[in-house]
Amino acid sequence: MIDSALPVPDRNRPPALSRALAAPQPTATVGEIHCADPRLLCRNVNVHYGLAHAIRNVSLDIGRNEVLAMIGPSGCGKSTFLRCLNRMNDTIDHCRVTGEILLDGQDIYAGDIDVVPLRAQVGMVFQKPNPFPKSVYENVAYGPRIHGLARSKRDLDEIVERSLLRAALWDEVKDRLHEPGTGLSGGQQQRLCIARAISVSPEVILMDEPCSALDPIATARVEELIDELRESYTIVIVTHSMQQAARVSQRTAYFHLGDLIEVGTTDDIFTRPSHQLTEDYITGRFG
Amino acid sequence: MAYTTQQHTVQRFDSELNQVAALVDQMGHLALDQLRRSLASLNNEDAADAHAIIDRDKLINDLDVQIDEQIFRLIARRQPLAKDLREILALGKVVADLERAGDETRKIAGLTVRFYEGESHPPGEPILRDIHTMAAYVCNMMEASLAAFAGLDVERAVAVLRLGDGLEGEFRSTLRRLSTFIMEDARNVGYFVDIVLGIRALDRFGVHAKNIAGHVIFLAAGEDVRHLSADAVQHLLDGRPPAAVLDPGADAGPS
Repeated sequence: MIDSALPVPDRNRPPALSRALAAPQPTATVGEIHCADPRLLCRNVNVHYGLAHAIRNVSLDIGRNEVLAMIGPSGCGKSTFLRCLNRMNDTIDHCRVTGEILLDGQDIYAGDIDVVPLRAQVGMVFQKPNPFPKSVYENVAYGPRIHGLARSKRDLDEIVERSLLRAALWDEVKDRLHEPGTGLSGGQQQRLCIARAISVSPEVILMDEPCSALDPIATARVEELIDELRESYTIVIVTHSMQQAARVSQRTAYFHLGDLIEVGTTDDIFTRPSHQLTEDYITGRFG
Repeated sequence: MAYTTQQHTVQRFDSELNQVAALVDQMGHLALDQLRRSLASLNNEDAADAHAIIDRDKLINDLDVQIDEQIFRLIARRQPLAKDLREILALGKVVADLERAGDETRKIAGLTVRFYEGESHPPGEPILRDIHTMAAYVCNMMEASLAAFAGLDVERAVAVLRLGDGLEGEFRSTLRRLSTFIMEDARNVGYFVDIVLGIRALDRFGVHAKNIAGHVIFLAAGEDVRHLSADAVQHLLDGRPPAAVLDPGADAGPS
């Protein structure tokens, strides 16, 4: 295990200009950043958008079979941090990520890492359901096909059925597999996107406000699904709903102005947080 | 930009919480006043006033129901978390303790009725002395508890727990003193049971005051201190890390 006190490698050292702009120093995180059985290990992660320092020296473990909720006000960096976990920030020209993020011990920012299989290993579900303009079947089959996970049509059929079953959508779509995915309801579309993410056998699923466009019933179904998926995957969810974070996660991380202010068990964070900023945020005392 | 404030962004939440806290405070002082008046009725041998005190317990019961309704509404509408959640849970528990404390004061007023109404033969002053000693002890506890509640004063609440730890000893030594009255004059036996029940009621009143002090510590410090001695609570509180507070003014952060 990497000690958070270890210096970051030279290639990660920020240039002098950014160091000067980064003052004041990042706030020390309150709470236990380590967990018993980590799948993702993040150490001294910094993200700059041009000159803006969006994530400031964040270190955090994310465990197997754990749902980690990331909360914080808009612009606090939680989505930016989430996008670091499968290198989605690589697509932004002026974004620079430093520090270490290890997935099962492998540095995902190492030079020889291919981001395509990485993004299959670390799947993502977005705020707004975004099914491909293809059939329900093709939405789920696309990933396994391009990653070569199915040797035959029968294999592919099995993967599609298994993924839709795991996403709790099979019973609702089994008779309309060849209808457009975009014709499903919002909640069904989001579960279709989850089925698409799990069809390529990921290890981690990242969810960026997955229920913000859904009604309460569809939200409840997705939350139930998150709970079931936890048995097989590591899930990291960004949410603006405190109640949702409290309902679905085992650990919660609170971000504020790019700092990871506090991380702890969800039970502790929502009943007796240690940091005043965490308490002010979750009790709605931010002005 | 200031990021933290003591007030909720939704200020209506503050006023609703304050309203409940004010009602609880009112209920607490009503219960305390009931105890003082019931002791005065015993002292003044005023059975009529004792009846008025017993009737006035309805005010406490009404407040109990009213506050519970407001707490239900607050939970349903605001879905409180962290300190707010602890505050609302603590308020509900304080109310339950105050309602029971109010019931105990009725028992003291009942002694006045039993001893001084009609053609009864009241006990002598010495045998009642221990009731007033015990009452002073628990009155002191309840006053301190209500002050700790009003000011979220953990130190004061721990002091009440310390008094609470001594309550059982007070009760037992009172029983011992009462026994001597029986040994001296067997005619006192008739009063003995009533007075013991009165002292037990005062003991229970003190236990409710102690419970309220525990709820104050839960609310202010987030620690559940039920079933712990005052020393253990002090040890627990001393061992807590200081609250981490980021100075918002010192943090420019990214734009």
